[in-house]
Amino acid sequence: MYELILILPAAALIVSIFADVLWMSYLQLAVSVLVFCAVAAIALSFNSVTVFLGGFFFVDYINLVILITVSTLELFVAFYSFGYVRTEIAGGISKRKFKFYYFWKNLFVFSMMVSILSNNLGIYWTGLEATTLATALLVSFNRTKESFEATWKYVIMCSVGIAIGLFAIVILYFTTSQVYGESLRSLSFINIMQAGAKLDKNFLMLAFLLALVGFGTKVGFAPMHNWLPDAHSQGPSPVSALLSGVLLNTALLGILRFYQINGAAGIYYPRYFLIGFGFFTILVSAFSVIKQTDYKRLFAFSSMENMGIIALGFGIGGIAVIGSLLQIFFHALNKGLLFLSSGNVLAATHERRIDKIRNLSKNFPVTALVLLFGVMGISGMPPFAMFLGEIYIMTGVFRSNILLGFLVFILLVFIFIGLFGKILKMYIGNTDSEEAGDELKSGKTAHKEVNEGAIHPFMVYVPLILLLLSSLLLFYIPSPFLNIVKSASAEFGGRIIF
Amino acid sequence: MIMEKIAELFIILILVSVVLNVSSPFIKFAIKLYSFQSLMLAFYILMGAVHFNSINLYGSFAITVIFKVVLIPYFLFKTLKKVKMDKEIDMYIGIPEAVVFAGSLTLLSNLIAQKIIKTGITFGSFVFTISLATFLIGAMLMITRKTLFSQIIGFLTIDNAIFLAANSITHGMPLLVELGVLFDLFVSILILSILILNLRRNVAV
Repeated sequence: MYELILILPAAALIVSIFADVLWMSYLQLAVSVLVFCAVAAIALSFNSVTVFLGGFFFVDYINLVILITVSTLELFVAFYSFGYVRTEIAGGISKRKFKFYYFWKNLFVFSMMVSILSNNLGIYWTGLEATTLATALLVSFNRTKESFEATWKYVIMCSVGIAIGLFAIVILYFTTSQVYGESLRSLSFINIMQAGAKLDKNFLMLAFLLALVGFGTKVGFAPMHNWLPDAHSQGPSPVSALLSGVLLNTALLGILRFYQINGAAGIYYPRYFLIGFGFFTILVSAFSVIKQTDYKRLFAFSSMENMGIIALGFGIGGIAVIGSLLQIFFHALNKGLLFLSSGNVLAATHERRIDKIRNLSKNFPVTALVLLFGVMGISGMPPFAMFLGEIYIMTGVFRSNILLGFLVFILLVFIFIGLFGKILKMYIGNTDSEEAGDELKSGKTAHKEVNEGAIHPFMVYVPLILLLLSSLLLFYIPSPFLNIVKSASAEFGGRIIF
Repeated sequence: MIMEKIAELFIILILVSVVLNVSSPFIKFAIKLYSFQSLMLAFYILMGAVHFNSINLYGSFAITVIFKVVLIPYFLFKTLKKVKMDKEIDMYIGIPEAVVFAGSLTLLSNLIAQKIIKTGITFGSFVFTISLATFLIGAMLMITRKTLFSQIIGFLTIDNAIFLAANSITHGMPLLVELGVLFDLFVSILILSILILNLRRNVAV
């Protein structure tokens, strides 16, 4: 059962080299459904840490939450891709190009699964770097100048960042090898946690800081976030959804592992760094959201903001950790639906700029509605599940420090205004006559009338189902999932600081 | 004792090659220097392997030579030939200033290493100093130079520094992990080369 999660994407990856694209899209559906079922079966019957494949991989409560998130979003993305491939091929993109799409996407999912499930920190590192490489050619999928530049920035910045993460692992290895000797056991997470109290505290702290900066580059924490909006906005929309929804969490898992190790050794001040980076990330993204002109970049900055909130929650501890874990899952669903539905607009109009798109509600009734409600959801508005995660985190923040709570709250309002105002303009604003006049003057032909009929029905309805699911989860969270989240939060200790 | 002296010579040659890299604008030379630097790193690992008689380190020596001394420089040369570029033109700071910076970074890393490592490990804190200096100078190369090739060289230098650190404070990472790391590094160089070629095609520089 456990091995299946790794074997299935690997098999799909090999088959995709030989298979025809349209045939492959059916197979991809089967693979994603099977992976989802396997993860669901694991989640339902899970009761203690399980090691498999010779001790190199394991499942505990924390990576189970992320595993559920990945497999759920991947399921929806597979259905969306089914329509996406057909729409783009009808629009004149060669089939051969999409063969690589499935190849790289499966490699991406496979390496993500490897790093999430890995027990050995060295293997975690290898998997994480492999996700950068697998997504590199997906980000540059459109082969435009902008996409190549975005990919360059992405690969160079993330590779250097992750190299710093490797430095952290080297220092951790040095520390643990004094307990276990120099063997693979010294990098095994379970063994390190058992040896916790015996480890050298100064080196552990140093390792945590290096990991925070290194893996933090890939999470998109604020001073190292430059690559994120470019890379996330340039890729094909299903890939953007996976990048924003789950890959950031995979990188965050690395930081959390180091955080846990520090906790096991009795070092508690790393949490101030998590709070600091989290807050600064929210601050920077709040000011960046306001001046964006490209809707996919807008959502990329919103991902950054949410990672900031999640890191803040983990730093605060106590009830906020439950919020952060819920937020990881809900944010993935909500960000998925935003990128997928904005992908519909992009696929039909080939226009990225917000001010070029007006009156969506007329031509794209379903997509426009999903987009609008999705933005409400991502800002933490009540009828959607992210409200729950955010209320837990904010309660924790307010309890620990009222001033910090107010600051974060004001920034969240800022971000809401920035996001909602821009998307609302796309929803109702009319193409005013002045702009149309300009277009005629500059000799461009007027926009062809495009509507939802031009795109595959899967692309229209998958985001809608995600939206409904996101709304449903506010009122009913399946109790096995809730139990997993509670057990996972217990591993971070229930202490509230300040 | 004599082994330690020889090992230290290799380490010093790594630092020398990095500083030489800072002082030269020629990209072909920089790739050659990188290959040389990796060879010195490999010899250092080999010295450790002989000294501790460890199979792990012999394996580490072999894969370092294969990936870092042969394969990566080979692909970089191939890309460079296609791009037809031989000199770094855009630098934020001039070469003399950069060399002075490199010197002060070395001093700085000596101070840091003294502070972190009080007990002597393997070959003492000397190796750790050099690896920190290499790390910082590699980062400086990435920041101060604008050409895409120089950024790759800077990244590779940083990577070498981390390998050196892994071999100085411990006896190298487990072979399995090291193999994974080197393979990822190799693939990332391939992807960066593809990107360079595509960027040259799309952007008329």
